[in-house]
Amino acid sequence: MRREPPHGATILVVEDDDETRAALLRELRGRGYRVEEAKDGRSAMRHWETRRPDAVLLDLGLPDVDGIEVIRRIRREATTPIVILSGRYDEREKVDALERGADDYVTKPFGVEELNARLRVALRRAAGPTRDERGRVSIGPLVFDATTHEATVAGRRLDLTPREFEILRVLLAHVGAVVTKGQLLRSVWGEAYRGEDSYVYVHVSQLRRKLAAADATGELDRLIVTEPGVGYRIGANEELRQT
Amino acid sequence: MSAIRRRQIGVLLVVALPSLAGATVVVWLLQDVLGVPNPSAVYLVAVVATAIVSGTAGAIGTAAASFLLYNYLFTQPRFTLAMHEPGVWLSVVLLLFVGIVVGQLASMQRSRADLARRREHEAQALYAVSSALATRESIEAVLPETARELASDTRMRQIWITLGATNVQRPPEGAQVGLFNELRRMSSATPAHWVRVHQPTGRSTGPTDSETYRVLIEAGGATLGSIWAERSRDNGTPTFDETLLLSAAADQLGQAIAHDRMVADSQAAEVARQSDALKSALLQSVSHDLRTPLATIRAAAGTLSADWSDADPSRRESVAAIEREVEYLNRLVTNLLDLSRIEAGVLRAESEPFEVDDAVASAIERWEPRLSGWRVENAAGRDVVRADPVFVDAVLTNLLENVVRHTPSGTPLRISTKPGVGGMVRLTVEDGGPGVPREALPRLFDKFYRVPGKRAARHGTGIGLAVVRGLVESMGGRVDARQSALGGLAIDIDLPFAVVPSEFEPAVSS
Repeated sequence: MRREPPHGATILVVEDDDETRAALLRELRGRGYRVEEAKDGRSAMRHWETRRPDAVLLDLGLPDVDGIEVIRRIRREATTPIVILSGRYDEREKVDALERGADDYVTKPFGVEELNARLRVALRRAAGPTRDERGRVSIGPLVFDATTHEATVAGRRLDLTPREFEILRVLLAHVGAVVTKGQLLRSVWGEAYRGEDSYVYVHVSQLRRKLAAADATGELDRLIVTEPGVGYRIGANEELRQT
Repeated sequence: MSAIRRRQIGVLLVVALPSLAGATVVVWLLQDVLGVPNPSAVYLVAVVATAIVSGTAGAIGTAAASFLLYNYLFTQPRFTLAMHEPGVWLSVVLLLFVGIVVGQLASMQRSRADLARRREHEAQALYAVSSALATRESIEAVLPETARELASDTRMRQIWITLGATNVQRPPEGAQVGLFNELRRMSSATPAHWVRVHQPTGRSTGPTDSETYRVLIEAGGATLGSIWAERSRDNGTPTFDETLLLSAAADQLGQAIAHDRMVADSQAAEVARQSDALKSALLQSVSHDLRTPLATIRAAAGTLSADWSDADPSRRESVAAIEREVEYLNRLVTNLLDLSRIEAGVLRAESEPFEVDDAVASAIERWEPRLSGWRVENAAGRDVVRADPVFVDAVLTNLLENVVRHTPSGTPLRISTKPGVGGMVRLTVEDGGPGVPREALPRLFDKFYRVPGKRAARHGTGIGLAVVRGLVESMGGRVDARQSALGGLAIDIDLPFAVVPSEFEPAVSS
């Protein structure tokens, strides 16, 4: 049942509440990670500078500096995966953190399974996208080939518009991780479309419909999952990603 | 004839007669002793003197008297009103004419000076009122002084100023109300005038030598108080100027009271706003403090369950129970926080388009482990609403939790959509459970309301549906409860239909 983490990965846990931090440390150690801990933003940045952990688990509500500040500091130098621990109804804060470079988030109180899944996805993405020998990405019956500009479901070509194709490409480049609507808008439409979130919604919805229609097994019906108020992610379903 | 009129005539006689007599003596001296021809112009001095003191009528009278006197005493033939020389006749008529004109001018000058003096007096009186009001600590403190000054300026025996939004004709403490007059202020076209008011008691208990006058203090169409004045009958009805002064003082008081009220209102609003902000901050920190241990408990329980392959079943179930209860507590905290935000009016819904079926599928997926016993049918269509997806998720979570709590396992649960009225999409969550008595339906969304007679081990707090209503209404939607065709309860939620922009995109080319 347990999936082993990438071996020897070091996680920096930044959380001000002692009990929560201790619980997280126990959990992560139990999973075979090496852990570092910090209880505020300043010591988090110090730890990051001296130890260069493989991933950072970051609580946004820190006593000294804003969690966003920590993200900005790390992103100045590295693409180290950052997973945010946040409260419910902090959508704006979450989106802000994600757009400033955080990879993903879990909402408190989170289950450890969810936390581990997010952490694994973040670490794997840092190691590079999973592609086969021809550079294709496949999830269930969907095979996506960026070089030939082709997406197929169960061998049949999907009829996608350029925007839909781009959306799928961006989401697949972040398999398992959340992509905000703002990020999709920027990478598919460009900066000029800032604020036109409705476009994203319209095309994602179109793309979903095409994926569902092409897939008789129903596996792709919920391939693109909505994160309410935040954005979209592909393959929240762990099993789906394994194929 | 009024006292004023009598006094005017008295003044006229005191001034006109001596000055006419004086002028006659001077004319006699000039004409008969010194031999000056036709010194009739001397009478003009008497005309001017009378005009200055008593006005136009007195001046004309004096001019006429001068004409007659000169004609009778000094023109040939003397001691008759007849005249022989046409030149003298002309000069005497000219005397009459010039006398009338000079008298007019002098009296106009006098009334102008009078008016200026009255205006100055009035301005000073008003200035006293307004400076007292401007430097006030409270309006009540300056009322006695203002009343005293106003009384002396308007020749009243005494003035009382009472505050309070009352139209009742109740005189102030200590006032003796006899005959009672009220000032009617109409539009600017009609001048203000006094109206005699009949005493509500039907009898006059006050003194008989005075009358009472009242001016309402009004601002912005509301009555804020009254000026009561007791006036000696000897002084007659208040003059135009006195009435004007009373009415202007009432207006100033009205403005000052209205201003004080506005300041008090805005202070109260500021206090309320600060208290809301405090409440909201307090709730944030309470909810943070409640959630933090929940996060620890859930993570710790998760760590225990991680090794469930080698754990015995009872231990596994214990861990599952901990996780379930943590989730329940978390929803409780969330609902409490939401409810207080709704009540504080600080809840702000985002507005973005999304498909209802997507939101429903997400909510059901999250509830899957708990809903496994129920016969769930997701018939929600691809209707696109413009709403806050997080709020809609919270609404669905609350409704699903209700179904799980109040209906037995195996009950059908159906979620569907259809076009609603007025540009709305109707989302219905209904079940085939025991339902709710018809009379309880309208109160279902009230805070802390629980359906009577229901006996569940855990009632719920009665806030879930109140939160549902608050969230839905914050998104511009409506929520209603009715009996479902499935046999149980149906909740209808109307959410605004979204009009999404369409972007032109060329057909596929890849």
